[in-house]
Amino acid sequence: MQLRIRFKGVLLLCILALVTVSCGDDDTEPVTTTTAEPSTVVTGAPATTQPPAPPTTVTETPSDMEEEPTTTTQAPTSEATTTMPETPAEPIQIRAAVTGDESTLNPYTYISGFPGWNLLMLQYDSLMQLDKNGVPRPWLASSVSVNEDLTAYSVTLEEGVTWHDGEPLTAHDVDFSVDYYINNVEASRFARDLRGVEDLVVTDDHNATFVLSAPNAGFELAALADIPIIPRHIWEGVEVPSEHQFAGGTNIGTGPYKLTEYVEGQSYRFEANHDYFRGAPAVDELVVIVFADDAGSQAAIRTGEVDVIFERIPPEQINLLNSQDPLEVIIGPEFTTQMINYDASKRPFDDVAVRQAINLAMNRQDIVDTVFLGAATVGSPGWIHPGHPSYNPAITTVYDPAAANALLEGAGYVDSDGDGVREFDGQPMSFEIVTNAPDSLRLRIAELTVEMLAAIGIETSVAAVETGTWEQAVWPSFDVSNGRNYDIAMWGWSAPVQADPLRLPQLVASVPAGGFLNLTGYENAEMDALSEVLGQEPDRDERNAILGRMQEIIAEDLPFVLLLYPDGAYVYDSSTYSDWEFIAGQGIVSKLSLLPPAARP
Amino acid sequence: MRRRIDLRRLAQYGVVVLVAVTLNFLLPRLMPGNPLVLIAGVDVGLLSPDQRAEIVARVGLDAPLWKQYLRYWGDILTGDFGYSFRSSRPIVGMILDRLPWTLLITGLSLILSAVAGVILGALSAWRRGSKGDLSMLTGMISIESLPSFWLGMVLISIFAVQLGVLPSFGAVTPASDLVGWAHTWDIIRHTIMPVATLSILATPGVYMTMRYSMLETLGEDYIRTARAKGAGERRVLFGHVARNTIAPVVTVLAIRLGFAFGGTVIVETVFSYPGLGRLVFEAVSGRDYPVMQAAFLVFTAAVLAANLLADLLYPLIDPRTRAS
Repeated sequence: MQLRIRFKGVLLLCILALVTVSCGDDDTEPVTTTTAEPSTVVTGAPATTQPPAPPTTVTETPSDMEEEPTTTTQAPTSEATTTMPETPAEPIQIRAAVTGDESTLNPYTYISGFPGWNLLMLQYDSLMQLDKNGVPRPWLASSVSVNEDLTAYSVTLEEGVTWHDGEPLTAHDVDFSVDYYINNVEASRFARDLRGVEDLVVTDDHNATFVLSAPNAGFELAALADIPIIPRHIWEGVEVPSEHQFAGGTNIGTGPYKLTEYVEGQSYRFEANHDYFRGAPAVDELVVIVFADDAGSQAAIRTGEVDVIFERIPPEQINLLNSQDPLEVIIGPEFTTQMINYDASKRPFDDVAVRQAINLAMNRQDIVDTVFLGAATVGSPGWIHPGHPSYNPAITTVYDPAAANALLEGAGYVDSDGDGVREFDGQPMSFEIVTNAPDSLRLRIAELTVEMLAAIGIETSVAAVETGTWEQAVWPSFDVSNGRNYDIAMWGWSAPVQADPLRLPQLVASVPAGGFLNLTGYENAEMDALSEVLGQEPDRDERNAILGRMQEIIAEDLPFVLLLYPDGAYVYDSSTYSDWEFIAGQGIVSKLSLLPPAARP
Repeated sequence: MRRRIDLRRLAQYGVVVLVAVTLNFLLPRLMPGNPLVLIAGVDVGLLSPDQRAEIVARVGLDAPLWKQYLRYWGDILTGDFGYSFRSSRPIVGMILDRLPWTLLITGLSLILSAVAGVILGALSAWRRGSKGDLSMLTGMISIESLPSFWLGMVLISIFAVQLGVLPSFGAVTPASDLVGWAHTWDIIRHTIMPVATLSILATPGVYMTMRYSMLETLGEDYIRTARAKGAGERRVLFGHVARNTIAPVVTVLAIRLGFAFGGTVIVETVFSYPGLGRLVFEAVSGRDYPVMQAAFLVFTAAVLAANLLADLLYPLIDPRTRAS
């Protein structure tokens, strides 16, 4: 009898587990909503005021990796649009891999700046759109004009644009979107973009003017090309935006794709909006698959289970994946950075000689070759990427440890006790370099930095800590007025900080002068003065002259030491689709990649 | 039979629950890092102090700690775990989405490893000291020391990359529109590698317990008595040895059942399997306090329930523990 009870118990456990599983299966059915087909058919002919630039892809083999110089011509005159074959008969389906779930991808629920924002923008449009050089072009707006003193931006909307549910887009939607983002700041990116917007004047259904409280030359890039316009008829009833999810219709946009299915932690399904106002997308269905880590997505592209990875691949994978047929790797400039920060407000880093010596001691090419296996661009000490339109070509990168030693010697930092370490104020020049452990490339840069600094008599050791701890040391509570808790730190900024050069003052102006990304406590009166005038200068050439001077000061004064800009490398399966467009500084994850080349700006 | 509720034991469980819930509340708040990054995105540094304060207030992080603690208890008791900082989705829904997948692979591997472990352990003990027993023992010890991510990656590179017979990731083929049997078959194909990894790694534990427990029993006087009175090998094995051996094994399995709810962070990550373990991994790396707390609470409850189950089962299996 006892025996029976015992087996019953075990049996019961098994049944329990099985029952829970089979019941659960019903719960995991994908959340699906059906969006009504647009009732109005829109003509898909692009009607930009500026003719689109000829499409080119930056496909390079890793052996001769070189930066493609991003030559930006403000008003392209050639009408050299290559005519591509019409929509292929067989529908193209692409399966793309991302790492980590991005939630339901509306402006209040998407998670990461990359690739979350990029996936969000497949469903929505902004008034302007970046072209392949990273320059904003009119998009939802057919034209954008600005007044003399840069305080009023007027937009005229494209005619006949409809939302996914068939409702027409009007200037009232633009007006509503702006108010909504300003009043509901959880979508912090868009609330920030719109700071300084005093009023939006709607003149009629297709015309509106942004009135700014101060001149802002960067408004096109920072706001008009960044903010998704949302439909008033959907969102006006939504009180707590973040809790209003996919099922509530909040994913209705004007964009080339409609999100039709989201399975949490597993996948997204986007279907082409064939009535897209810039032309029907070249890819009919895009399935985005959520992986837990990049090892998983790299295995899946090798097995053919995915067609593209929407994430940069690490340098050591470039050759490996590129050599496998039919995989191809596309490489281009990215505006993220790897740099050395030091607390320039305290000894000995308040001495420009020490900062210059550190700059001279860094063998950037060696780091690019050793850590990035060549897949990076040597850093300009003046901050701006050589592929960027605002780069000052007079800035040179010099590696000269002998000069660095001489500089330190001359400034009185000598090694008096013969232990190989120089002294300052009676203490050895011995510091800790804080870095975030999960970033293995950055950790390797830190290790090379230790060797390079040892060669000029500065002793350092690497403290690899958890990301939160590292952020807290370098940027306590993300507020520079809280000061700094480090001597030397490895750091890097995300692409938007560099992509818009008008944000340079935020990095290098003193804190009271608006340097709210000035993490090193750097101060320079001329820099503050230039920062003040930069955003208010209406003339483009004048602005570039100011930016050129600021780069000179940075390269001379070194508020930080910029080491390199990692290149973006993406892998795709060329047997499925190969028209990927690399937007300088942004990569391939954008609607441009999925639109027919003729429809790209 | 003991019918009375054991008050002291109940009180013990109460204290454990209290401590576990309190720790659950405190641990995420003691971790370094700022949850604002998650709520407001990486650009949090670019927000004005006013905008930041508004966000903090909206998610309730501005209240004094004791108030947050009380509210936490209130939420637990009402079954309201709130919304994820990261995805803004209701947490109960997130957990319920993930739990079945976790239970599917952990449940299957629990059954497989239990069956394999018990049979192999019994055989091994029965032929104690033989070549078979020794090589089995050595094999099991080697398997136990395998890292799970390594085993998972080896399986992927053989069966997915080289042979191309099994899917390398996920629980279903995304956007495949499969229904009925095709859908079920798809799910089964996706479970094979994760379940194999988990089962292979879990078998040695059961095997060892079974083997030692059985060896101990085989040495008992009553086995000798049974044999002396002429009982056949079969009768001895099932009637006498098995009954007395199974108790520790059931305990081990019951406790594992508790941990099964926690999923398996590493295996779910290697196979990008959408289970609870991966949810927790993402929540911890993203400082998603509410999700972490809810998930840990589920684990705590599952482990406590499994312990309770073992406590209740033991007297049924082993009459000796019923006495005092």
